[in-house]
Amino acid sequence: MSLLSKIVTWARIKSPWIIHFNSGACNACDIEIVASLTPRFDIERFGIILKGTPRHADVLVCSGPVTRQIKDRLIRIYEQMPEPKFVVAVGTCSCSGGVFQGCYNVCGGIDTVIPVSAYIPGCPASPAAIIDGVAKLLGSLQGKKPGEKADIEAIERKLLEAEITTNG
Amino acid sequence: MSALSVILVFLGYFLLLSFLGTAAEYIDRKLYARMQNRIGPPWFQPYADLIKLAAKEDLIPEEANSAMFKFMPVLAMTAVLTAYLHIPLWNSTPLISFNGSIIVIVYLLTIPTLTFFLGGWHSTSLYSMIGAVRTLTQLFAYEVPLLLAVLSPAVLAHTWSIADMSEFYSNNPLYALTNSIGFLVALVALQGKLERVPFDMPEAETEIVGGTFTEYSGRLLAMFRLAIDMEVIVGASLIAAVFLPFGLHFGLVIGVILYLIKILFILLLLALLRTVTARLRIEQMVVFCWKYLAPAALAQIFISLTLNWIVK
Ligand code: SF4
Repeated sequence: MSLLSKIVTWARIKSPWIIHFNSGACNACDIEIVASLTPRFDIERFGIILKGTPRHADVLVCSGPVTRQIKDRLIRIYEQMPEPKFVVAVGTCSCSGGVFQGCYNVCGGIDTVIPVSAYIPGCPASPAAIIDGVAKLLGSLQGKKPGEKADIEAIERKLLEAEITTNG
Repeated sequence: MSALSVILVFLGYFLLLSFLGTAAEYIDRKLYARMQNRIGPPWFQPYADLIKLAAKEDLIPEEANSAMFKFMPVLAMTAVLTAYLHIPLWNSTPLISFNGSIIVIVYLLTIPTLTFFLGGWHSTSLYSMIGAVRTLTQLFAYEVPLLLAVLSPAVLAHTWSIADMSEFYSNNPLYALTNSIGFLVALVALQGKLERVPFDMPEAETEIVGGTFTEYSGRLLAMFRLAIDMEVIVGASLIAAVFLPFGLHFGLVIGVILYLIKILFILLLLALLRTVTARLRIEQMVVFCWKYLAPAALAQIFISLTLNWIVK
């Protein structure tokens, strides 16, 4: 990598601006996403800012399965984002369709419609998992391999352990 | 001055101002975060944002007037920079000084607002048009109080040149204290000019997506952001020069330190104002500016006139 592209990659990792899009979630995942934006988790530490318009955003954070109604809108939002762009699927539904899999009005997970860079499972995914997932995605920009399935299971296990230790 | 030296001076001021501007953005965001009991962004955050935006794709909407769309960010930056050349920094002599410079500064600072309007208008997106119209509506609300507040010290100093004004007030520092109402009015109006909370209706992302900048992306958005960062410094320098003209005769080093302290103080007040308030509606803002801010500025002018009359 030349110096310039190194600097650009560094800047991309340090300043991911996100836009949140609900593609048919039951709202629980959205609440968790909004919770992870609150001062308690302080994601501005990592340079993450929530933007209202897809033109400013680098990361599209989707929640929920893609319904037939929302499919065209999702594609349009995705195409309005300037390159380079990434998609993060939050929640089991957006990873695979989840409990809505096979419903007459559902296309399936986000990756049936647009390419997805990171999957964050959980029903709903907890704020810690969401922040971890976005951090993993950014780490993969540096040339590291993106998180494999086993990785996600490890996160879940870690989270579960943390929950057990905090809740007794 | 030859053409080359003009270009070099302009370039030097550009680098200085962009450095100060990005530093101001960091300080503002950090203060805001600390006041919300957060840790806040690291020191390099503004640079990371700008570099990332510069490396992104530039999207220009098909419907937009692409010449105007591309030209507006450049114009905003140029106008802010030109205003900076007229403001005294660590002593009482700015780079360019003439009688009437204070009015020129205020009007040069109006140009960025107009570019936000024109940029939003020529994006031909619904959200950016609403944002653009709000920008102009706001302009008519805060501009008059700002102008009145900045001009009332000039009434007392009997000059329209900002250099002579700083000279007058640094020789008679007690007079500067009579301008404290004007100082507060100018601070609030500056907050409106910079389109920050509570006056950020033009880019209220919870109601109109991204306001005037909805369609801007990549390099053009980076330029607009840099222009706004610079405007913070220019506005703060203007207020510091007009209302806090203390310690201008102690040479370069102490002068620069004092200048930075004054800017930091104004930034602190602006960040505090941003933290303790929530966004107003556009008509609440107009009512607030005309009902309370403009009369306060008039009161300031009245005080200056009365003092003038007593002293004579
Ligand atoms: S993963 Fe669970 S919480 Fe999230 S949208 Fe699907 S059903 Fe709702």
